[in-house]
Amino acid sequence: MNDIVMAASVILILIGMAAAIFNRDPFDKLISLSVLIAGVFPFIIDRGFLDIAIATALIAPLSTIFILMVCRRVQE
Amino acid sequence: MIAIYVCAAIAVYAALRVIAERNTMRKLPFVNVISFAVTAIIALLLPHPLTILATAAYFVGSTLESNAIASTWAGGIKKP
Amino acid sequence: MLDEPARILVAAALCWINFVAIDVFFRLPESGGVCGATAIAQEVEKGGGALHGGYMLGNIVSSPDASAGTLLAACGVYCAGLSGGLFAALLVYIGNRICYDPGYAGTTGAITATFLVYGMTQVGFAATDFIAGMVIAILTIQGISHVHSSRLIARLWEIRGRLLGGP
Repeated sequence: MNDIVMAASVILILIGMAAAIFNRDPFDKLISLSVLIAGVFPFIIDRGFLDIAIATALIAPLSTIFILMVCRRVQE
Repeated sequence: MIAIYVCAAIAVYAALRVIAERNTMRKLPFVNVISFAVTAIIALLLPHPLTILATAAYFVGSTLESNAIASTWAGGIKKP
Repeated sequence: MLDEPARILVAAALCWINFVAIDVFFRLPESGGVCGATAIAQEVEKGGGALHGGYMLGNIVSSPDASAGTLLAACGVYCAGLSGGLFAALLVYIGNRICYDPGYAGTTGAITATFLVYGMTQVGFAATDFIAGMVIAILTIQGISHVHSSRLIARLWEIRGRLLGGP
């Protein structure tokens, strides 16, 4: 993987991490986690781990949906 | 082969717009642009037939996640 | 034939026309398909945009529509040729059913994009041009200014209403 794509993915991870730490609203934090996982994906694909990529792509949104369901249950 | 550089630049630009936007719901279209760009980067990094499955899985998962965030923010599905 | 940046821009224009035409034809700007799309539309309107354009932006975010179909079809053609594009169209249809969407816009967009990209690769374009072009096209609709793009979509929705009659 050439340097520019690697740098862009690292920037996405850092931006997602910083936004998740410094945002107050819980929905903003979840959106920042989504940006972070988007930055991790090119590294997984670059090594050729296609099956791990498919599994992560299905598990990460499911875990966000479970977090949302738990938060709504706690609020009620 | 500048296609992958274009997608990487668009991903970084959209990430900057995400943190610059204050309104939560208006962040979601920028997150959608990031998903498009990362899907394109995945496809361009590894041109193998199985990559189609990985790109489709990532894109549909990301769309489902944004939909869930937007629906929960809006108060959830109205029970009949 | 053309130089690579020019090819990417031409591909971007073709992808823009493909996905906007199919989405407006399939009534995406009419109303929010799911409640998340309606929420996004209301926030876009509060920020100064047009409501129907906001509905289309919300529908693009919430479910795989013709824009997703075009991008996945271009990736499919790049990875595995014509059959790869059609396989990607099948995956878009499955993804639509998972999101409780009937799926017409996404699958139609994917199929037309498959034939478009495959045809253009026979005349000197590369499938990678269409992948980058589609990302640029979605950037212009969702990534630059929601106010202006929602107003443009609302105007296209009016034109569709006048051309094809009422709902």
